[in-house]
Amino acid sequence: MSTLTTETPDTPALSPAQLRERKDRRRALGLLTPGLVWMALFMVLPMAMVIYVSFWTQTTFSVNSTLTTASWERFLSSATYLGAIWTTLRIWAIVLVATIVVGYPVALFIGLFVRNKTLQTALLVACVIPFWTSFLIRVIAWRPMLGTEGAINMILMKLGIIHEPLTFLLFSEFSVLVGMTQIYCVFMVGPITFMLGRIDVSVIEAARDLGASFGTIFRRIILPLSLPGVMVGSIFVSVMVLGEFATAASLSGRKTNLLGNIIVSQVGSLKWAFAAVAGVVLTIIITAVIALALRLVDLRKEM
Amino acid sequence: MLTLTRVSRRYGDTVALDGVNFTVPENTYMSLLGASGAGKTTLLRLIAGFEEPDRGEIAINGERIDGQPSHLRDIGFVFQNFALFPHLSVSENVAFGLRHRTHDALKNETEIKDRTEAALELVGLTGFGHRAVSAISGGQRQRVALARTLVCEPRIVLLDEPLGALDANLRARMCDELKAIRERLGVSFLHVTGSETEALTMGDKVAVLADGKIMQSDTPDLLFNQPMNAEAARHLNAWNIFDAGLCGAGQGQIAVRFDQIDVCAEGQVPEGRLTLGAKYLTGEFNGPTALSFFRADDGTLLQIIDHLSQPRLPQLDEGARYALHFAPDALRQFHGAA
Repeated sequence: MSTLTTETPDTPALSPAQLRERKDRRRALGLLTPGLVWMALFMVLPMAMVIYVSFWTQTTFSVNSTLTTASWERFLSSATYLGAIWTTLRIWAIVLVATIVVGYPVALFIGLFVRNKTLQTALLVACVIPFWTSFLIRVIAWRPMLGTEGAINMILMKLGIIHEPLTFLLFSEFSVLVGMTQIYCVFMVGPITFMLGRIDVSVIEAARDLGASFGTIFRRIILPLSLPGVMVGSIFVSVMVLGEFATAASLSGRKTNLLGNIIVSQVGSLKWAFAAVAGVVLTIIITAVIALALRLVDLRKEM
Repeated sequence: MLTLTRVSRRYGDTVALDGVNFTVPENTYMSLLGASGAGKTTLLRLIAGFEEPDRGEIAINGERIDGQPSHLRDIGFVFQNFALFPHLSVSENVAFGLRHRTHDALKNETEIKDRTEAALELVGLTGFGHRAVSAISGGQRQRVALARTLVCEPRIVLLDEPLGALDANLRARMCDELKAIRERLGVSFLHVTGSETEALTMGDKVAVLADGKIMQSDTPDLLFNQPMNAEAARHLNAWNIFDAGLCGAGQGQIAVRFDQIDVCAEGQVPEGRLTLGAKYLTGEFNGPTALSFFRADDGTLLQIIDHLSQPRLPQLDEGARYALHFAPDALRQFHGAA
C-alpha cells in the first residue's frame, strides 16, 4: 500500500502550463529550423553576395574584388539597360492585366457557377494540363501558331479577311505577350477560383433578395470578396513575369530585352559584376511590386 | 395575402413539394412546422424566387410572382445562417437593399442613414452600425439579418429556421421580439421551423408540412387540440397514434393526447373508459413534467405525460404490464390515409 502525501515537493517543479509552453516553443523552433537554415544558406547569403559582387571591378574577361561603382554607373546611364527596365515593367503590366481579363471570367465560372466540388476540381486540373509538357514546348508551340505561314495567318487568309500574312504576330512583343499570358494565366485562375469558391451561395441569394441585379451583386459582393484572390494571383504572375527570360528569348526573335535576358547574356559573357547589378535592380523591382500589392489588400484580414 | 396553388417541385426522383395549397393572410404571424427534409426550405425558396416550381402558381394579392426574377419580387428572406455580407459593416449590411436595389434605389445618403438607424433601433442594435459583422455575437447577427430585410419594407418576410443557430436563452428572447417587431410593422411573417413549441408559441396560425403537402393550417390551439389527420398529430409531439383495434374502438388510426391517458394495474380499469394493455419501458424526468414510455402489444410506442403538481400515475415497475385507459371523448379518429 502506498502512502498519500499532501506535502509539496522540495524541488520547485515547473507548473504544467510552463511545461506545455516550453514544449510548444521547442516544437515551433523545430518546425522553423529547416526553412530558416535553407533560406539563410540559399537566399540571404547569395543575395548579400550578389549585392557585394555588383560593386566589384569588371574587366573584359575577369572580375576582381576591388570595390567600385563603375558597373552601377554604366547600368544607370545606359539607354539600353534603362530601356530594358521600361520594357520589363511594360510587359509585366500588360501581361498582368491580360491574365486578369482572361483568368477572372474562367475563375468566376469554375468557382461560382460550378457548384459541384468534383467538377470544380476537374476543371481546375484541366487548366493545368498544359503544364504536363515542358516549358519550352509550350512556348515554342506558339511558333507554328503565330508564324507568317502559321495557323492563324492561314485561317485568316482562307477566310479572305487578310491578303498578306500578318507579320507582327511572331517574333515581336506581341508574341511575347501572348505566350506569357497563356503560360501564367493559370496562376491567376487558381487563387481567384479558391476565393470565389469560398463565397457562401446564400450571401449572393441574400443580395438578390434585397433587390440587387446581377451586375450590382458582382460589383458590390463578388468582386470585393474575390479581391484577395486577384491579389495573390497577381503576386504569383508578377514574380514570374518580372524574372522571365525564356519566353522573350524564344518568341521575340531577340527583339525584346527584359532584365532577365540581360542577366542571362551578361552571365554568358562572364560579366559577373554587371549581371549582379541587373540582378539587384530586378530584385528591388519585384520587392516593390509585392510590397505595393500587399498594401492594396490586407491579406491577413481578408483570408 | 400570399397564395400558393397546387405548387409542386421535384429534384430528380425526389418529390419535395407535391401540390401544396397554402395561404398566408395579411398581417399574420404564420408558422410552418415540418420535420427536416419535409420541403420547408424548398417552399420558402420557391416563394423568394431562388427556385421555380415545376407546377402550380404563387401569387401575392392575386398577382402572380412565380417566374419573376427574385430581385424584383419584393419579398424578404432571413437566412438560417444569416448570410451577412462579410466585407461590409453592420450599417452597410442593413443599407445594402436601400442603396442597391434595382427598383426605387435611394440616392439620398441622409435618408439611407436615417432609415438604417431606424431599422437598427427596431431590432435593438442602436450604436452597432460601425461594427464589422465578424465582431458581433450570433444573436446580434440574427438581428442584423432581420434589420437588413425589414428596412426594405418587403410585402412578406420569410424566416428560414431563424432561431436554429441561437442558444436556448437567446431563442426564447428572440421569439418575443420577433412577434413584437412583426406587430409593430404589420407585415406578414412566414416562419419555418422544425420545433413544435416554437411553431405554436410564435404563430397566429400554424401550418404543418409533411410529405410535400400542407396537412393542416389552423390557429395553434385548434391545431393542438384537434389535429385533422395523423400526420398533423404526429408533428405536435403530444399525441399517441395507434391502431383503434388495440382498445377495441373499431378500425383505423386513432390518437390520444399524452396527458389524457391514465395508468392502473390490469383489471382495475374504472367504468366507461377505453383501455389497452401495455408494458412499462422507462421514464424520463424533464423537470416540471415526467414522461413515461409504454410498449403496446403490437409494438407501438406510447407516451404518457405527468405533471409534477398533479401526479396521476401510480408507482411503475420497468418491464411490468399495466392497463392504460382514457375517456372515450379524448379519442380522435382519423379517416382516410394515415
